[in-house]
Amino acid sequence: MPARILIVEDSTLVTDAFRILFSETGYDVDVAGTVAEAIERGTANTADIMLLDLSLPDGNGLEVLEALRERGASPRATLAMTGRDDAKTLRTCLEAGCAEVLLKPLPIGDLLRHIQRHLS
Amino acid sequence: MSMSDRLDPAALKKRVNALEAQAKEAQSTIDELKSRDSLKTQFLSNISHDLRTPLAAIITHAEILRDGMLGELNTKQRESVRGIVNGGQQLLDMIDEILTYVRSEGDQIKLARTEFSITEVVDQVRMLNQPLAAKKHLTIERLSGDDLPPVYADRDKLRHVLGNLIGNAIKFTQDGGRIWIALSRRGRNGEELLLEVGDTGRGIAREHHELVFREFAQVDASPSRPHHGTGLGLTIARKLVELHNGTIWVDSELGKGSRFFFTVPLDTPRQ
Repeated sequence: MPARILIVEDSTLVTDAFRILFSETGYDVDVAGTVAEAIERGTANTADIMLLDLSLPDGNGLEVLEALRERGASPRATLAMTGRDDAKTLRTCLEAGCAEVLLKPLPIGDLLRHIQRHLS
Repeated sequence: MSMSDRLDPAALKKRVNALEAQAKEAQSTIDELKSRDSLKTQFLSNISHDLRTPLAAIITHAEILRDGMLGELNTKQRESVRGIVNGGQQLLDMIDEILTYVRSEGDQIKLARTEFSITEVVDQVRMLNQPLAAKKHLTIERLSGDDLPPVYADRDKLRHVLGNLIGNAIKFTQDGGRIWIALSRRGRNGEELLLEVGDTGRGIAREHHELVFREFAQVDASPSRPHHGTGLGLTIARKLVELHNGTIWVDSELGKGSRFFFTVPLDTPRQ
């Protein structure tokens, strides 16, 4: 069964591109644009990988991580996607349970490699 | 003002009142300018963030096409899509430069110091820029620095400064020119590290030596200038060097190449 990726990002411009990228590379793709939607999708179908944008219209992306943990639906790995790579953001994400913090946008080859590494 | 005016308490009081009113007005102008400046910084920050998202989508779509995920492209198509990726990447670098500037203006940049070999960082930046230099048949050499002790500084920030100086040297040096990096200790007890990035490029007139470090400033600011950019690279470099308690300056003459220098104190980690 293909691995499942949950993309949590409020820009449909970005999620459209990711949807193509991940379905063409053999993943099952699910998309959520808000914290609430991400919790709903992530609970209904536990993801293997969650790509998590930090600033969402209804709150901080890290709230999703906490809520999924409480529901016993934590993904195997959560990769935070952020525009800021300062020490504080990095620390907050890692403390919240993210496996990695990626500075977006990163080249698709690198993104796919990071995901592969967490799946293997 | 006559002598009698000066001694007249009523006239003096009037004068004091007038000065106080002027001071108040000046203060209000300063406050207004500060508030406008902070609005400008906020605007730059917001617009940069907002530009990044659609640009990220454009680059990702173009990379998907370039890598043949939606079917193989012919040579011309691939070349064209590569142009979209490269152009997008260049635009993204400029936006990131603006964001770095905004953060440095807001004193949001903090140093994360570690102990490391500065020559290693110089060589990394040199290797990274080699392909770009090769396109213009430029050589980049490191002339010294094998015997230096480790520095205690922010590795990424110094890499950024070196990247900026070497990038500028490549940009402003004609085909077949030479770029070099020299490292040495200076000060009475060798307590400072001195780095030099030199080139045989077009050089900078003396009257522009300070201007090149000023925000948004470019020696050639005409729309037809051959080299475009945000005009923030050296402003950021100066900020990052100053955060390390170092200084940065240029020694150059028009037509005779440029030598950019910066210092970093050879601090040791606090116990």
